[in-house]
Amino acid sequence: MIEFNRADNKMVLKLVYYGPALSGKTTNLLQLHELLRREGRGDLMVLDTRDDRTIYFDLLPFFLTAPSGLRIKIKVYTVPGQVRHDATRKAVLQRADGVAFIADSQLSETGNNVASFENLERNLALVGLDIATIPLVIQFNKRDLPGVVSEADIERVWRPTGIPIHLAAALNGEGVLETFSALADRTYTQLDEKWGLAAEHGLAREDFLRQLVVPG
Amino acid sequence: MANIECIEFLVGTERGLREVLGAAEVEPLLRAAVAAGADRALVAADGETLWQWPESRGFAQVDSVVAAEALPLILEGEPVGEVRLEAQEPREALRALTQMAAAALNSAIHANLKRMLTTEIHTQVVNQSYEELLAANRELRASEARYRELAENLEVRVRERTAELERAWACVLRREKMAAVGQLAAGMAHEINNPLGFILSNLNTLQKYVGRYVDMLEFFQHRIGACLSADLQEAVRQKWRELRIDFVTDDIAALLPECIVGAERVKAIIADLRGFAHIDAQENAPVAIDQALERTLAVMAAEIPADARIARQLASLPELLGNGALLCQAFMNLIRNALQARPQGLELEISGEHQGTEIALRFRDNGPGIAKELRSKVFEPFFTTREVGQGVGLGLTVVHDAAAAFGGRVEVREAPGGGAEFVLFLPQRGGGHG
Repeated sequence: MIEFNRADNKMVLKLVYYGPALSGKTTNLLQLHELLRREGRGDLMVLDTRDDRTIYFDLLPFFLTAPSGLRIKIKVYTVPGQVRHDATRKAVLQRADGVAFIADSQLSETGNNVASFENLERNLALVGLDIATIPLVIQFNKRDLPGVVSEADIERVWRPTGIPIHLAAALNGEGVLETFSALADRTYTQLDEKWGLAAEHGLAREDFLRQLVVPG
Repeated sequence: MANIECIEFLVGTERGLREVLGAAEVEPLLRAAVAAGADRALVAADGETLWQWPESRGFAQVDSVVAAEALPLILEGEPVGEVRLEAQEPREALRALTQMAAAALNSAIHANLKRMLTTEIHTQVVNQSYEELLAANRELRASEARYRELAENLEVRVRERTAELERAWACVLRREKMAAVGQLAAGMAHEINNPLGFILSNLNTLQKYVGRYVDMLEFFQHRIGACLSADLQEAVRQKWRELRIDFVTDDIAALLPECIVGAERVKAIIADLRGFAHIDAQENAPVAIDQALERTLAVMAAEIPADARIARQLASLPELLGNGALLCQAFMNLIRNALQARPQGLELEISGEHQGTEIALRFRDNGPGIAKELRSKVFEPFFTTREVGQGVGLGLTVVHDAAAAFGGRVEVREAPGGGAEFVLFLPQRGGGHG
């Protein structure tokens, strides 16, 4: 969490879209910006790109208010996927509250997915986060392309980890809201345990999700 | 990389409107709005006016305002303030003016925030990369230093290892030799002891029997001889003289005890040999220093020339715990070393004394001594100053290793008067006399 200011009654959360280069992290954010209602959703901020490749990060902010008056800002970031931007990834990953790992479903990208996931594990450890406890979802993107890894294989490999898997074709908007929703849901669980969102602030899980994930 | 926690600069720190917008951006807009027809234009946040035009002085009171339009200013989706245009009478353009001002300000907020974030992340990445470079540089330097040290020490280490190996090999060699000597001594001693036993016993019996023969002869001569005829008496005297019985009788009286003494000496030598090889002793048995030295000297008797004088003062030294054979070996090699240094006219003084918790055994000779630069080498395996074939250079190594086996050490120095002085320092461990 970036900040929890009791005096201002404000909480700022950070969700991070992680994954290998060109797996569709920015596309996910573009679609979220497109698909979600305008109120409470900030503008998508794309920080420097070159040839449509993210150099720094993208940021899509959301804002909602709990019945208690607690103001909650949720900042959704993407990281640059290219190997050379590791320092940026570490900076963005700092104090994350939840991570969506966007994998590329194409068979040819399997190695990059594995390398990027290992990089995520290592960087989480470096910034003092525990991959076993941080809310994490995985999205297998680009299901619409030919030559993708089969669902059965995804199941077989990832099911044992217990991490929720979502299939998506972000370019068409498929699976984008589901992934975001699942990440928000997992994040809520942890925030509620720690800060008593429901008990202290009257913000039930459904309200949280309803305010955050409202198709426009 | 390890001090990630220390990075205070976080990307995406929360900001207020005042941090994102500046007077230079806001005031021209407010001024333009007033010029376009509003009577007052202002930007407010948290119920506080941040900027306004015209400035408050001289402006009409709030209750004179009859028309007002306000639109929110949005920072990351959150309404953080408003832009407000007021007029003292209804104005058609007021709504549109407010929309324009809000659009312009929101656009400025977005652009400024983006610039700030870019700066933040850039700074963050540069700082972090620099820290990592520094860390990598430190590691490289450390590893370079390690390699340099390794390279510098390699030769020394090789020498040390070689010396260690040589020492270990010499140790094995010596153990083998000791075991062989021990076995041989044990076998010989056993074989010699048996016949020696019955030789000694028989000699004693023979001495008794010969005494009886002599008694019988005397009895014949004095008691029976008088009864014989003069001719026969003369024949007996003749035969007596011819066989030199008087001489034989005297000589037998001397010969047999001499034989017995000789056999006893052989018996003592065997005992010394057994003692020297410590055939019967256990590894950690008490060892009497003076006894060990006497045994060693006895075994070496044949090597020691008649003109050599070996003085010893080892009285009242406590017993040591250890392998007695090793101590005897050390003594033998020290004595042999002195004999080789001074083949004629050797004067060797062996003395011992307490020194704190140690016993110092000094072997001081009147040889030519050992040159200063060689003193550190004489204990090394295979180091010798003698001609090829004259010694393998293990003698003093044996001394060194024996001292080490007792938990002590050996030093060499110049004796007063020019010879060499070897000192064995052996720790007293539960010795009998304290």
